[in-house]
Amino acid sequence: MIRFENVTKIYGNKKALDRVNLEINHGEFISLVGQSGAGKSTLLKLIFGEEKLDGGRILIDDVDIATISEGDIPFLRRKIGVVFQDMRLLQRKTAFENVAFAMEVAGYMREKIEKDVPRILEIVGILDQMHSFPHEMSGGEKQRVAIARALAHKPILLLADEPTGNLDEINGYEILDLLQKINNLGTTVILATHARDLVNKIRKRVVTMEKGKIVLEQEKGRYQLVPDSI
Amino acid sequence: MESITLIRIIKTSWTNFWRNILLSTAATLVMATTLTILTVTFLIYSLTNVTAHSIQQKVDVSAYMKSQVSETQILAVKDEISNIPNVEEVQYISAAQALQNFKQKHAQDQLIQESLSELDSNPLPATLDIKAKNLSDYPAIAQALSDPKYQQYIASVNFEDNRPVIEKLSKILRITREAGIALAIVFGLIAVLVIFNTIRLTIYNRKEEVEIMKLVGATNWYIRWPFIIESVFYGITASVITLLLMIPVFQYALPKVGGYLGISGSAQSILPFGIGLLFVWQLAIALILGIFSSLFAIRKYLKV
Ligand SMILES: Nc1ncnc2c1ncn2[C@@H]1O[C@H](COP(=O)(O)OP(=O)(O)O)[C@@H](O)[C@H]1O
Ligand SMILES: [Mg+2]
Repeated sequence: MIRFENVTKIYGNKKALDRVNLEINHGEFISLVGQSGAGKSTLLKLIFGEEKLDGGRILIDDVDIATISEGDIPFLRRKIGVVFQDMRLLQRKTAFENVAFAMEVAGYMREKIEKDVPRILEIVGILDQMHSFPHEMSGGEKQRVAIARALAHKPILLLADEPTGNLDEINGYEILDLLQKINNLGTTVILATHARDLVNKIRKRVVTMEKGKIVLEQEKGRYQLVPDSI
Repeated sequence: MESITLIRIIKTSWTNFWRNILLSTAATLVMATTLTILTVTFLIYSLTNVTAHSIQQKVDVSAYMKSQVSETQILAVKDEISNIPNVEEVQYISAAQALQNFKQKHAQDQLIQESLSELDSNPLPATLDIKAKNLSDYPAIAQALSDPKYQQYIASVNFEDNRPVIEKLSKILRITREAGIALAIVFGLIAVLVIFNTIRLTIYNRKEEVEIMKLVGATNWYIRWPFIIESVFYGITASVITLLLMIPVFQYALPKVGGYLGISGSAQSILPFGIGLLFVWQLAIALILGIFSSLFAIRKYLKV
């Protein structure tokens, strides 16, 4: 589904990604782990075009994303759901509106939006908070709204960047369960995180990054500390 | 799908207009001020133009013919004068016609009427009234009339007296025109800057929203349209405000000023193309200013 070939990304004089090779298959659940600053967010940003790469190429279903025109990027983004590291909810909109907004942008009809949004909010477990504003919700609830918004246009791929970053352990596990549930419904999920306990619980494919490089890949793996020299 | 999107965009624009009512008001007022200044500048310019024109109409060179010159000769002279460069028009007023005009002009004056009826011959000469194309052409025309070949026909030319007035007028007219254009350009530029910055501020207010929209898959045009339509709201409101402000000007100020200047101060005479078209122009200027400012201001936020 997605193939990274020698992908390099440089910010100023800092190499955030250094010749990364990675293949992700349809329906997979991948945990992308590594210390803060390892390049996880950058890798995700390249997939949906928030950043542009400086070397190598990324193929999505055999299409080189560098060949996607500026005008077609929105249509790529409508196939991908993103849960941002900082959530990026609109403070002036309710949970319902935050999710509806993503569907409006993609041109869905009002009736469909009215029907779908509560359903999505139910999946993520905050239907009763539908009309609450972000400042009226807990961290875990806000994170669920962010996930709901990412699911709004039925993406084939869900990118979740540190979705448990600001949550306590119990809420963290719940979000993780939710992501697995979404994966079971057929959506490919890439989870970027530095939370070790969480990853060890999933027992699915783990890709470990360090200083912009992939240092370890394990099927049904664990997040383990990698010795400095491999 | 298309019409759904259109309705949604218009609704979004309307909501944003009210949600940012303070900034919306500011943008609208700046636009209205600009339009008012432009309109007033234009009115002053037009007023001076009409006044100058009306004075210009009153200015001419009169050549009084000698009494023994026959009408045929006068018409021949008239043709010749018509061929002097920059002569707009030559009008022949016969002695009889001149007397008629004089009588009419002083119809109320008993004394003059009585004195006239006592005369047995017409004391007024036949006259050629000459109008130039431009005020600045009069000296040259007067010069041409002093040519010796006219001496046997023309008794006198009454131009010398008017010359300083005419020269002053042509100068005033030129200065007004230039100052008016300069003023309009300066205010136009100020307006563009202020409107651009106001709209940039309203966009900055929604920077986050715009960025998130882009990240969840909005096209650039989906984001631009509400801002454009919002500018259209500003433009329409500003034009209406300006037009309302202009009502007392047309109703009271112009007729009064026109009275002082000895011209008709009616809207029709100052604005030959009508108030309707003035509104259309205001609207067009407001829309162009607003739309370009907003397209330019939003460019930066579409780069995500
Ligand atoms: N916009 C940016 N400008 C400059 N440097 C950046 C930017 N984004 C990330 N970086 C740098 O790139 C490296 C990788 O960052 P990131 O992908 O956010 O790591 P992670 O998500 O694994 O914590 C870090 O050293 C970070 O400082
Ligand atoms: Mg990160």
